[in-house]
Amino acid sequence: MFGYYVKLAARSLRRNPGITSLMVLAIALGIAVCVITLTVYHGMSSNPLWWKNDRVYAVTLDSWDPEEPADDKHPDLPPPQLTWRDAEAVTASGIPLRAVRMFKGFGVVSSDAAGSVRPENAIVRVTSADFFGLFDVPFRHGGGWKAAADSGPEPVAVLSRETNERFFGGANSVGRTIRWDDRAFRVVGVLDDWHPAPNFYDLNNGAFDEPEAMYVPIGWAPVLELKSAGNTNCWKPEEIKTYADFMASECIWLQAWVELPDSAARVRMQGWLDNYVATERKSGRFQRPDNNRLTPVDQWLRDNDVVGNDNRMLIALAFAFLSVCLINTVGLLLAKFLGSASITGVRRALGASRRQVFLQHLAEAGLLAGVGAGLGVLLSLLGLYGLRAMYASPWGGVTSVMHVNAWSLAVTVALAVGAALAAGLYPAWRIGRLAPSVYLKSQ
Amino acid sequence: MNVQEIRPILSALLRNRTGAVLVALQVAIALAVLVNAVYVVKQRVDKIGRPTGIDVENIFVVTSAGFGAGYDHSATVRDDLAWLRGLPGVRAAALSSGVPLSGGGSSNTVYKTPEVKGEGTPVNYFLVDEQGVDALGTRLVAGRAFRADEILPEDPTYHEPMPSMIVTRALARALFGTDDAVGKVGYDGLGRPITVIGVIDHMQGSWVDWDKLDYVGLLPRRAFGPRATYLVRTAPGQRDALMKLAEGHLSASNPKRMIQHVRALDYYRDRSYRSDRNMAIFLVVVTVLLACVTALGIFALATFNVSVRTRQIGTRRAVGARRADVVRYFMVENWLITTAGVLLGAALALAVGYSLSRAYQLPRLDLYYLVGGVVALWALGQAAAWQPARRAARISPAVATRTV
Repeated sequence: MFGYYVKLAARSLRRNPGITSLMVLAIALGIAVCVITLTVYHGMSSNPLWWKNDRVYAVTLDSWDPEEPADDKHPDLPPPQLTWRDAEAVTASGIPLRAVRMFKGFGVVSSDAAGSVRPENAIVRVTSADFFGLFDVPFRHGGGWKAAADSGPEPVAVLSRETNERFFGGANSVGRTIRWDDRAFRVVGVLDDWHPAPNFYDLNNGAFDEPEAMYVPIGWAPVLELKSAGNTNCWKPEEIKTYADFMASECIWLQAWVELPDSAARVRMQGWLDNYVATERKSGRFQRPDNNRLTPVDQWLRDNDVVGNDNRMLIALAFAFLSVCLINTVGLLLAKFLGSASITGVRRALGASRRQVFLQHLAEAGLLAGVGAGLGVLLSLLGLYGLRAMYASPWGGVTSVMHVNAWSLAVTVALAVGAALAAGLYPAWRIGRLAPSVYLKSQ
Repeated sequence: MNVQEIRPILSALLRNRTGAVLVALQVAIALAVLVNAVYVVKQRVDKIGRPTGIDVENIFVVTSAGFGAGYDHSATVRDDLAWLRGLPGVRAAALSSGVPLSGGGSSNTVYKTPEVKGEGTPVNYFLVDEQGVDALGTRLVAGRAFRADEILPEDPTYHEPMPSMIVTRALARALFGTDDAVGKVGYDGLGRPITVIGVIDHMQGSWVDWDKLDYVGLLPRRAFGPRATYLVRTAPGQRDALMKLAEGHLSASNPKRMIQHVRALDYYRDRSYRSDRNMAIFLVVVTVLLACVTALGIFALATFNVSVRTRQIGTRRAVGARRADVVRYFMVENWLITTAGVLLGAALALAVGYSLSRAYQLPRLDLYYLVGGVVALWALGQAAAWQPARRAARISPAVATRTV
């Protein structure tokens, strides 16, 4: 029966090729615009560490100016980064299963091995040994460094897959030497492809920032007097003449993350933070109300406005567009059904039930929506291709979320079903209610 | 046209209203989207088009990073600048701590009194040398630029005092309440005085999304190494050729450093405005598509109505209606439907505009946009109905007799 309805629908649609193609095009455009905006939105708001959302937390403390909040737009939030000493205390607290303090560094990366490879000015993440385990970073060769290498600090480094490609031709470079600002570091590990998008663990310079070329132990910061290539924010007028002054200052420039395996550990960590701040307050720091947070990744992405107003506006725009396309289709379908009411009249007179007539016409709307959705997927591919060109950057950046994926296809199917029902239900119901005699008479 | 003419059209519409209601709904949504999209696009275009105060088109930026053992930063900077300044076609070249309009930069707070109590003013500052003002192509309106002998040595601690400063007019007004700021004194966070020695007309700073983008101060100090950023201003039309020349020479001149980028300043500007530009493009594309779909919908429905009413039109013609009367019937019908749509759409547009102005902290939707949108949709509706109405007018009176 269903096959017959579809055949009837196809025949009916072929009768008015102009109106049919207009309806298909409208549905396709409406679906394409929705799929494009929803795909980008979904990609931007996705949590790259979703399987650890109940274990991994960003640590923030409100060490900011007693006179004003760190961010006027989010006065309820503590500043997004920590001071050197607070970050050090958090990672030394002993409570988390894993704890990381880190910042975005920079420098010229070079290698003796490949004399012809041009040195590269690159992002170098200065971080703790736990970084790789806490964020489940995949290794291709070797592994991370031991905690002892952080305090040493030892000249060890982990390379990104791309850096290893560039300087060692993709070979296993563990044990070989890489140079960072002309200082020799021993390669202990090479990462597999790892490009979390958004780069949730450091959102200070955007959620789709240039990826790191390599990783070195945090203990090198005081030894080499490293500055952050990310953001350093200071509120307090204070004497900062030496690097030791800087480390003791109220300037914030480090990110801290902890892994707490269960809620008991979380409660203990929260208690430790509150206690730490209370102790520091006695010495004159932390003059703002207590605001010590352990934020899971999904909330962290929201707090940091990874998805902006523009993204939300585009979603609303896309659905407004889709609704115009569907209203358009409702009007045209209705007109078309009523225009061929005489045929329906004959069908009814020959014994088709109202239900059958209703389903026949609904099948026609379904066929339209199906063809429209197919075309819509093609238009989405085209649209996302265009978007990737508009947002092209040397390291891919936000274009990594601008691809049709399984999720987009599921959205397309849902939209197509929704479109078929929205556009077809009313016209099919109207035509199903027709009294056949009226239309037979007028012949 | 008079009321007597409208009444039969209206009653015919009301008897068969579904199609009309659907078109009116489309018009309503189209109006709400159109008006607000145009408003947002206008905001973005205005934002991108703000005057920079900088000679953006004729400036390029060189970034160099020293890394080899025994790299001598001061000597490298001295040699690089001497070579750049000696190039025919280069107007000025300066060492700078940052690139304006690039999204990266430094800021600090300057206070009106040494006690550092009360409101400080945020200053987006650039450390420049004696050619800084010239290399930016900014216009000095009072005082003077820095002299070579007052450029202070490198300070990696960011802590040494800054005796003098050149400010934008906007910053002068924020700090001292007057453009006439030469000789006025502000204070840093530790209460040390900074005297204004020059005022530049206008200059945009680092962050295009910052509401105090033009609170810019130039400070006389060499930016510290081992990284160096040079701003080079060329004679009009010579930028691209000089960039190639500079890249070739500087990449080879010193093995202890690498030239990271040689880029035009407009690269940085365009990158900073990319999301605004793309948002505007996206809004325009979707809005145009929406207008097309709406117009095609009106057109298709009108065409369909004409074909359904062939006999009725023939009858009207047979009893004396002129072609113009038939055209007018359809145009008035369309106008009535569109008008119902724009009435609903105006309310919708205001609601959307209100929520947008709250989300973006923008001024409320300007009513001129609404008036423009209403006129545009009326015109769109009439244009879409024109061809079907003409076709209706061509129906011969004889049709009336044929099928009876």
